[in-house]
Amino acid sequence: MRGRAALVIGLTVVLAVLIQTTLFGRLRIVTPDLVLLIGILLSLTRIRPEAVLGVGFIAGLIVDLLGASLLGLRAVVYTVVAYIAIRTKERAELGRVTIAIWAGVLTFVGVVLLILVGTLFGQVSLLGENAVSRMILVPLANIAAAGLLAPTFVRIVDRDRTALRYP
Amino acid sequence: MLTAKKSDRALPTLITLLVVGVLLMTFDVRLDGGGVVGVLRTGTQAIVSPLQRLASYAVNPISNALDSLSNVASLREQNAELSAELAESQAALIAMQDQIAKLALLEQLYDLGDGGGQVGRTVANVIGAVDAALIIDKGTSEGVLVGQPVIDTNGYVVGTVTTSSPGSATIVPITAERQGITVQTGSQTGALTSQAFSSEMTLTMVLDVFDAREPVLAGDRVVTSAGSTRYPAGLPVGEILENASPESTSLTTTVRPFVDPETLRLVVVLAWPPDPISAVTDDTVVEETTTTTSGEDTTTTTLPEEDG
Repeated sequence: MRGRAALVIGLTVVLAVLIQTTLFGRLRIVTPDLVLLIGILLSLTRIRPEAVLGVGFIAGLIVDLLGASLLGLRAVVYTVVAYIAIRTKERAELGRVTIAIWAGVLTFVGVVLLILVGTLFGQVSLLGENAVSRMILVPLANIAAAGLLAPTFVRIVDRDRTALRYP
Repeated sequence: MLTAKKSDRALPTLITLLVVGVLLMTFDVRLDGGGVVGVLRTGTQAIVSPLQRLASYAVNPISNALDSLSNVASLREQNAELSAELAESQAALIAMQDQIAKLALLEQLYDLGDGGGQVGRTVANVIGAVDAALIIDKGTSEGVLVGQPVIDTNGYVVGTVTTSSPGSATIVPITAERQGITVQTGSQTGALTSQAFSSEMTLTMVLDVFDAREPVLAGDRVVTSAGSTRYPAGLPVGEILENASPESTSLTTTVRPFVDPETLRLVVVLAWPPDPISAVTDDTVVEETTTTTSGEDTTTTTLPEEDG
């Protein structure tokens, strides 16, 4: 990963964590999981897959460290979701809509994994109430966020204005 | 379905990171949030909390505006109700002031004091949230320590402090605590636990009374018990939602907590249990740190309480 790309990704992750823990942490309406979305969208860039997994892991770890849930819970889940994203991205790169839906499906996988692994480690109460409705609302919010942000994010990280341009 | 390239190292990296993640989870469980894990959490919070504080100043107006928009339909009705409540409260306050004056006179006559039993309080702003946990802008520098109980500005129980760094602390609300809380309703003592998988939009908890002698009724208040080691006795927690009668010797019902953690903007951290040495010393000065917030300006004043 080049220095500039690393800087952009680092700043994006910090910004996503800050927005997630301040603005979205306090809103009672439907909110996306921006940190998870960053891990998913990174797989669309030219960044090496290992680096994408590393970013997903570290981003999840930062959220774990700021919250009260088990350390490593989100790190593991975000890494798995980033891996699935890397392996399935070719199927998503058809258009803006397919990318958004693909990101939504991966978010759904992430939320379900989070609840499953959290339940195994007795952490589900810490993940917040209304876990079932979150499984639906967070992916829907991420679909909208991915539809809006994906092309711009990939172009900035790759420094390629032609990336994710569809006729 | 899945595409894989033989040359890439994604799978070994994934396995390595998963092993590291599971190891971290195991350490966290084994150390119960303390040790290296506690240091890591405190360190991260110390680094991120100034940024979160800055971010919260920027996003406060946005979140307030969005909150208001989502509640705009009920705001007028709520305003009328609050005006009526305010008038009643003002009348009650005047009546209470008379009683306080009488009490002060009686205390003076019989040479009674409060015995230094006042608990120190730190008022803090909620600057963020991660899942159910709340992040506040006060930490060890202001006397906020792990394990201290937290209430809202009305005195209702919110939860406990789980981690604390110099500039911030994390609170886990009672609705997300795993171990539950010992409470009292009427003369009966029970355990109040969170209802993690509730799919309803209402916030409820489960009350189990294992030595039930009489039924409980909807609307009965639930307060913290003297048997609780984590909260002072008598703090209001919530109200019972459904009538329930004892079956054999136990009783189970649902409780609606008075506090909805998602709506909190200010909380009060109690310095409890008070230092046993200072609590019994008559001439000890208990400091009360109060922070008032008006818009983006925050001022902190430290006032010594009067001796008893």
